[in-house]
Amino acid sequence: MAAELEHRAFLYSGDDDFLRTAVPFLEEGVAAERAVVVVARAANVALLREAAAGLGSAVEFFESESFYRHPVRTLNQYQHLVVGQAPRRVYALAEPVWTGHEPRGLLEWMRYESLINAVFADSGATALCPYDRDRLPPQIVEQARRTHPDLLVDGVAAPSPHYEEPLRYGAGCDRQRTFDRPRLAEYLPFHTEDLRDVRAFVAERAALFDLDEMTAQNLVTAVNEVAANALQHGVPPMGVWMWESGPEVVCEIGDNGFWQPDALTGFLPPRSALQRGFGLWTVRLLVDLMEVRAGWDGTFVRLRMRR
Amino acid sequence: METLWSVRRSVRDLRPGDHAWLAYVNQEERRHVAGAFVRDGLLAREKVVYLAAPGELIPGVVGLPSADLLTVVTMEHLRTEAGACGDADAAAAMRALAAEIVAAERLGCRAIRVTADMTWAVRGPGGLDRLMACERHIERAVGPSTTVTAVCQFDQAGLTADELASVGATHSVLVTPDPEFEDSVLRIVRTFAPRGLALSGELDASRHMVLSQALAMVMAAGPAHEVHLDLKNLTFIDLGALNMLAEVAAARASGGLILDRMPAQLRTVVDTVGWTTLPGLRIGED
Repeated sequence: MAAELEHRAFLYSGDDDFLRTAVPFLEEGVAAERAVVVVARAANVALLREAAAGLGSAVEFFESESFYRHPVRTLNQYQHLVVGQAPRRVYALAEPVWTGHEPRGLLEWMRYESLINAVFADSGATALCPYDRDRLPPQIVEQARRTHPDLLVDGVAAPSPHYEEPLRYGAGCDRQRTFDRPRLAEYLPFHTEDLRDVRAFVAERAALFDLDEMTAQNLVTAVNEVAANALQHGVPPMGVWMWESGPEVVCEIGDNGFWQPDALTGFLPPRSALQRGFGLWTVRLLVDLMEVRAGWDGTFVRLRMRR
Repeated sequence: METLWSVRRSVRDLRPGDHAWLAYVNQEERRHVAGAFVRDGLLAREKVVYLAAPGELIPGVVGLPSADLLTVVTMEHLRTEAGACGDADAAAAMRALAAEIVAAERLGCRAIRVTADMTWAVRGPGGLDRLMACERHIERAVGPSTTVTAVCQFDQAGLTADELASVGATHSVLVTPDPEFEDSVLRIVRTFAPRGLALSGELDASRHMVLSQALAMVMAAGPAHEVHLDLKNLTFIDLGALNMLAEVAAARASGGLILDRMPAQLRTVVDTVGWTTLPGLRIGED
């Protein structure tokens, strides 16, 4: 039943080159009776709607600007699509949004491309990811060669010599994180599974830092889960720091142990709450960004919420 | 059943002088609450007087308590199938109860618990007047007493809403089930219609065990039934608890776990993860 994922970066140059590959790709998918979807930037959706009009309702279109807003939620949306269409396999033209990100956000989207390989490894899905090689910064195109096992350039399909397994790629992303903490960050240690003081600490500051009520509640739920994890796997002393940073409110939960979350921790959608990893996956969905650093001095999980 | 003027007290908080009432929705609730009242009394070696129909099973009795501790006053007209009740029967029942109380006090009992299902008194013509007369008798015996606690049981299905309101007004206390668990953070109480538990406060890993035990008790009592969790007053639930509830639901052969009146915090979490990740759990009423 399990079939391999085909995940290919398509490095195109100009609209004509884009359509020369994209249209036959969609036609093939429709001919093979796959669940064909296009998730592309609005401009490319418009191009394809016209050029592939003959395929009619066999192709479903989404605009990337609204589909790619939060990497883990997007993974989850694709997962729903894959599960919902089964046993039909998904056949997707998938183009993330690469503009308007902070460096940290950009890193997450590159990592997202890499995670596709892990999350959908056995889905039998086909994904063609267009990269505008004339307009995108070279760094983004270079990363696409690392995050996609296959390439398509100037009509030539070949394996990518620079491809890295998601675990390794993600570890590289984690290494790039800087984890400086402002001196004015407030700190609350915790010792027991009774985390009501931690929740009150986070809720009070969340209100002070102007998080709306639902965002604050989600942050409290997320902090509680990470703290419970630290209690289960970590080593004291343990505590939570909290501060505001520009448009974000940041919570960091740290312990002196080394519970070795790996670069995929919390990224793989569990089938149900009964599966290991349900907690941290939910945390990743609830917050805007979860960053993990496992260092010589302990394990630190940083949760960011935009206000 | 609740009236504005009634004081709510759980079984363990009842004290001498309390003339309490229980308007039960089903036999399970009746046996749960009246059973706790009887059992606590016997365990504390207090006198328990139970007015019952002949052959009626007395809830909360374990083994064979001595007659010094438990007196069951039986009367033929208390049978459900006995038909209409007369004023003379009611007066006889009240006399019998009063005599037992006096006898227990003479024996020097520090605490006397009296309980009866009083639904019979309304059967037949003039039912409410008869019942009110009985209640005044009991009130006179219990109200000023420093030894007697009384619990009058009523079948909600056997009385009209107006009758229940009148009956409620003659009691100073509404008795509620003892919480299955209660501390400064979390409170777990049995519910009977629907069957399940009502949670209030906050739930995190430190209290998963007590919830799991309370759930096990409810489920053991009705293996094939759905179990409802009333979450209205649960201000926080952690992800580990969702995992635990899904495990409990998955381990059950039949009858799922239904989450009623989910608070906003839980609703957001469930919307985020999706019901498909929570097999066996279902959304109930709002």
